[in-house]
Amino acid sequence: MATMSPMTPFKVSELSEPEPTCLQKPWIGNGNEAVARAILDIGYDCEGYYPITPSSDVGEVISKAYAEGETDISFVIGTSELAALGICAGAAVAGGRVVDVTSANGLLLKAEQMPAISGLGLPMVLNLSTRDVSAPLNIKNGHSDLYATLGWGWLTFLAPNVQAAYDMNIIAIKVAERVNLPAIVAYDGFHTSHANRRISVFASQDEVRRFVGPPPFKGTLEARNGRFSFIDVQHPRTFGPYMNDDLINAKVQMETKFERAYQYLPRVFEEFARMTGRRYGFVEQHGDRSGQRCLVALNTAGEAAKDAVDLLAAKDEWVNLVVPTVLRPWPEKEILAAIGEAEAIVVAERGSQYGASNYLANEIGAALQRHGNPARIIQRTYGIGGLNFTKDDALVMYAEAAEVMKPTRHDDEKPLAPGGFSFAESKYYHGAWPGDEGYAPEQTLVPLTVEECSVNAALGAKVNLKDLSKMPTRFDKHSACPGCGIFTSLNLFLRGIDGHVCLLFNTGCGMVVTTGYPLTSFKVPYFHNLFHNSTSTATGVVEMIKRFKARGDLPEDITVIAVSGDGGDDIGMDQVIGAALRNDPFILFEYDNKGYMNTGAQLCYSGYKHQKASNAHFGPQQTGKRTHHKEIVEILRGTFAPYIATCCESHPQDMIRKARKAQATTRDGGFAFVKTLSVCPLNWGMEEHVGPSAVEAAVNACMHPLYEIEHGITTITVDPEKAGKKVPVTDAFTAMGGAFAHLARPEYSEAVKEVQDEVNRRWARLKLMSENPNL
Amino acid sequence: MSAFKLPARDELGFCNIFLSALGGDGANMGGKLLFKIGCTHFGLDGGYDARYGSEKKGTATDVSVRFCEVGTPVRQAGPTATPHFLVAFHDDLIAPLELGRGLQLNAVCIVNSIKSPEEVRHLLGLHSGTIVCVDATKIAYQSKSRMNMPLIAVLCHELGFPDTDVTAVIKKQWPKAAESNMAAFNAALGGSTRETFSSNGYPRQSPQVSRGPIGWRNMLNGGTIDALTHCTLNRDNRIAGRGRVPKFDKGVCTSCGICLTVCSDPGGLLWRDGRMDGIDDAFCKGCMRCVEVCPDTKKGKALTFDYA
Repeated sequence: MATMSPMTPFKVSELSEPEPTCLQKPWIGNGNEAVARAILDIGYDCEGYYPITPSSDVGEVISKAYAEGETDISFVIGTSELAALGICAGAAVAGGRVVDVTSANGLLLKAEQMPAISGLGLPMVLNLSTRDVSAPLNIKNGHSDLYATLGWGWLTFLAPNVQAAYDMNIIAIKVAERVNLPAIVAYDGFHTSHANRRISVFASQDEVRRFVGPPPFKGTLEARNGRFSFIDVQHPRTFGPYMNDDLINAKVQMETKFERAYQYLPRVFEEFARMTGRRYGFVEQHGDRSGQRCLVALNTAGEAAKDAVDLLAAKDEWVNLVVPTVLRPWPEKEILAAIGEAEAIVVAERGSQYGASNYLANEIGAALQRHGNPARIIQRTYGIGGLNFTKDDALVMYAEAAEVMKPTRHDDEKPLAPGGFSFAESKYYHGAWPGDEGYAPEQTLVPLTVEECSVNAALGAKVNLKDLSKMPTRFDKHSACPGCGIFTSLNLFLRGIDGHVCLLFNTGCGMVVTTGYPLTSFKVPYFHNLFHNSTSTATGVVEMIKRFKARGDLPEDITVIAVSGDGGDDIGMDQVIGAALRNDPFILFEYDNKGYMNTGAQLCYSGYKHQKASNAHFGPQQTGKRTHHKEIVEILRGTFAPYIATCCESHPQDMIRKARKAQATTRDGGFAFVKTLSVCPLNWGMEEHVGPSAVEAAVNACMHPLYEIEHGITTITVDPEKAGKKVPVTDAFTAMGGAFAHLARPEYSEAVKEVQDEVNRRWARLKLMSENPNL
Repeated sequence: MSAFKLPARDELGFCNIFLSALGGDGANMGGKLLFKIGCTHFGLDGGYDARYGSEKKGTATDVSVRFCEVGTPVRQAGPTATPHFLVAFHDDLIAPLELGRGLQLNAVCIVNSIKSPEEVRHLLGLHSGTIVCVDATKIAYQSKSRMNMPLIAVLCHELGFPDTDVTAVIKKQWPKAAESNMAAFNAALGGSTRETFSSNGYPRQSPQVSRGPIGWRNMLNGGTIDALTHCTLNRDNRIAGRGRVPKFDKGVCTSCGICLTVCSDPGGLLWRDGRMDGIDDAFCKGCMRCVEVCPDTKKGKALTFDYA
């Protein structure tokens, strides 16, 4: 390629700005903490929240600030991502200033609510800490979540680094409220969310709030800026009508808001630059606008590529880099201007539009065509699943662009694409590998047989631990923390289950630590589908078992067991109830460790009141979890499913009996639910070896009573009161570790009395039900 | 604080530090502290990037800290592949994680080990540089501190951060643990073995990580795993378990089966034909749940552990 003249003005994006008019101060933290800082600085009315990696700690910081009395925000933890965004929709239609945070599958669960919010014209900000959408499950960075939103009517801002994650939040809410559209701020999961950087923040919250403007409906509920408050009873209005042909007009109206946002944004960027010294635009251009080669990349990849541009410039190679920072409204003019005179444009995307050319590649290609620009697009998909993108990757892409531009190169040469995609020119997966030809690993596992797994049948009514040791384990050698209760309980439970077993896991620690690719800990068939729907999935499986059996294709008898944490049965409660009501023949086994332990110890509804969680803190304004523990067994009682029970590893014989009854129930064609209390030494803050005594204390305190309900008839199977073993809840809390132990201290005597009273009340009711088959 | 001169820098102007550890070692906290000290006390800028995924206690994790002068644009994210300083929290992480890869010329490697620097150099295949061996496990135990403290102490010292400034920050950060942290700090600086090696024998290793044998061409449909060929049956867990396993006395054991009911991984206990036969040393994670529940019969306890 022709070298550019060294005289070409070399544009560095870090232009020095005039002195900011608002004092800025240095601050150190990661991307999530920067977003939380912005949320606190802006002063929101409400955050609907549900934890998901890698965005969870935004809510944790907010809840901590709330407990400390630093904010009066309504911080509400929903039962699911959809619930969290529903809470946001309600708060927004009432007139609140609203924010939410999510990632990947969380975003997709919100999907139905997303266009409803934009369609209703409700401004809010949704922070998206990007992550690849499963399956197979991955928690690392990828833009498949972001790309899914592109047609949902949300303003879309990108934050390539920690500084921008803070700044774009402040800019986004101002624009959103101006045009009555919701806005996404997308920053890279882990690469930004968990990267600590030294950034600048406003020294004064007042100045942030002056920039953003007063909260909507402060001082009056009257219409403002075309937005109405649902709770303005002086002026009743109907929100969300049924619409026929008029719908097209509603959508045209929505589109015009993007036009208004497009016109308004330059002024906002300018004002923000004046105040902070930090200048943003629709797009960031770095390097030489007259360079023949241009790379287009989003977020951290764009940041990393800047170093590649500078390194090439030092070698007298002049290339261009374009990092879009606004995707909706799509700034076509600005992007084309930034691309400049490039002849070969590498569009690198952390995602792929499978079976087609990629998202940005298509949009940029269409823009080029509309403006008669003959530049060639080279598509690259990189970093799906979090693979890091560095300056070196950018250098490879610039080199590939040079190759493509060589006049000797013809299309009939070896295609760049793995396998060659004839439907999408030049599409190539950077960083993927084909695998070793001839890889043929040896068989190490012999499948379990029914004969081996018939220990319980041989024992009759007896529960003999020594004989049960002969039951082969259905899984082996996982990577859970030492002393984890999940596999203790599940392994014990499975010793009471004869014959072939198929396991279905909800997302949670249990699946993450057993199936890290390419190895599995399971010796029996295993399926992880999603976080919330192992029950519905199990229904589909048992239906096919029935069908395949009926037509003679499946001779084996199979017991299907769905396994869920307490979190999976919060977010999936409706589907658990559905399976119980349909009386589908499988077992749902719940390990209840009183929190979302896989995402960082956020509270779960099953947790005890005043329990500590990473999103339920102690401070002047809050004392841990606000509500009493959910009793899922009592919720399921109303389904009148044939078998519902609780068990605990501290009472192994009791657990084995219940496993056998559960299996007998499913063999009779019915649904069985069994729940165990499961320790989490890491997040409960306990020694690894004390788990068995801790859960025993909880059983003896009647906080996890052991009982069963057979066709509505209740039996307490272990009665600590009768055995003279009943202890106060404080004894159990002391044994259970740091997340609970504070409740045994004198200063929390009032708080713990609430728990004790509630436990007493529930135990008294349970005893009455156990005594009377009609209750 | 006046600007501090970086001991090494790459083409972008960064001094790269890589901490390799197991979940629960405190590498994350140590890295965060280091980054904070650098920014707030030595006038540096840079970044701190943690892997921080679903790593559980005992599984491998890493932390990268990059320092540069203020004014150098901080643009790269994610782990550093080319460290000037390597901190290995356990010497047995070196081989499986290929920690020698990508090391810069004249790298400084701080390793928690009772081995000699010469032996550690062999493990790393270090081209050139300095190896500092420190028995961080013992120091942490004796000073009632954590393993990250002695390692961070040596790292800060090797970076050239004045010891007095670093100790002041640590005291301020954890006032309650100041005494034990200072004991660990001083023991580490006083008790490490340091040796510098020139380029004589080991080739420089590229940062390119090795890829698994399964790729997009031979992966089973949708990422399915064939349990018959890819089961964890033979998983060796000795790195995470650290050899901390219970003692088993077969002569005393009645095979009552209670240990079986509490073992947090059925792979840890070896039962044969209805008899307890021993501990799987290659896998047991050492949670000691079985020791806790093992009944003290007339003959004694079959499962024990010397906590000292």
